[in-house]
Amino acid sequence: MEALKEMERRPLFVSRSVKPVAATAGPVILFTAGGKRFAIEASEVEEIRDRDDRTAIRKLKGPEAIDFALQVGLGAGILERFVVLKPGDFSLGVTDVERMTLLPKVVPLPGLFRGAERQWYRGLLVLENDVIPLVRTEYWRKSAPRREDLGVAHE
Amino acid sequence: MNDTTRFVTFPLGDERYALDSSQVKELIMPSRVYSFPHAMRSLEGVLIRRGTVIPVCDLRGAFGQGTERNLYVIARCNYAGRAETVAIPVSGDCQLVQGQREETPSEVTFVAGLLHTGGKTVPLLNLDQVMAHCIQPANGLASEARR
Repeated sequence: MEALKEMERRPLFVSRSVKPVAATAGPVILFTAGGKRFAIEASEVEEIRDRDDRTAIRKLKGPEAIDFALQVGLGAGILERFVVLKPGDFSLGVTDVERMTLLPKVVPLPGLFRGAERQWYRGLLVLENDVIPLVRTEYWRKSAPRREDLGVAHE
Repeated sequence: MNDTTRFVTFPLGDERYALDSSQVKELIMPSRVYSFPHAMRSLEGVLIRRGTVIPVCDLRGAFGQGTERNLYVIARCNYAGRAETVAIPVSGDCQLVQGQREETPSEVTFVAGLLHTGGKTVPLLNLDQVMAHCIQPANGLASEARR
């Protein structure tokens, strides 16, 4: 939680505008996984935990944390941070959390992208000379491996 | 021979192909390709062109194109029943030419006809067919492209 509050205190950066508009995003949190940058809406995030707080993650009810990089085909990621989604029963394991930033627009995925990425992402953000996928949290909540499936008992 | 109009010719692999100029939006110099994990075969990433995100389709798998990229052909195509824009990296020079189009049997793969221009015959690319063949979900495996 402290990490999230710390990011909120930092100055916000606004991206340049882009033409196609799918939706308006509020503040987003930028994170890295598997060497790539991703964004997640801050309103969907309960808190961010360090790896050292892993035991706290295990005490959460519900699904286990997932290795986000592995899920999107980047190979097993280095899990240093856990982005806990609201209401706090599920988290994405990521390499690092950069900061929070304000983005006014989300660019829809071009129509040629018709694979699983349509479920993974809400769209793309054009930010600071980079194109960053915006994670579709509702999909990851549904698709996350359940702890029961992993044979891990609730604590 | 049933049509005279303008075409853009460009190299793909060892062959030279043509597209009707009405299909070609522009030709641009090599630009940064932004990659992100996805699950579509042949899609390399996206270009940002005047604020618009354009997917880049790597046709090397289908045409054996070289690694050098001189230009991107930004073209219109129909994919899954929708009009789309795609950037195709090509190696070599592109030319705007006039010529006559000749229809070919529909079973010729990737070819929509023949262009007769300047004493040469150049196959007209059936871009819709190429896109349908090359751009497909990669069985749930994410594709990762180079930057």
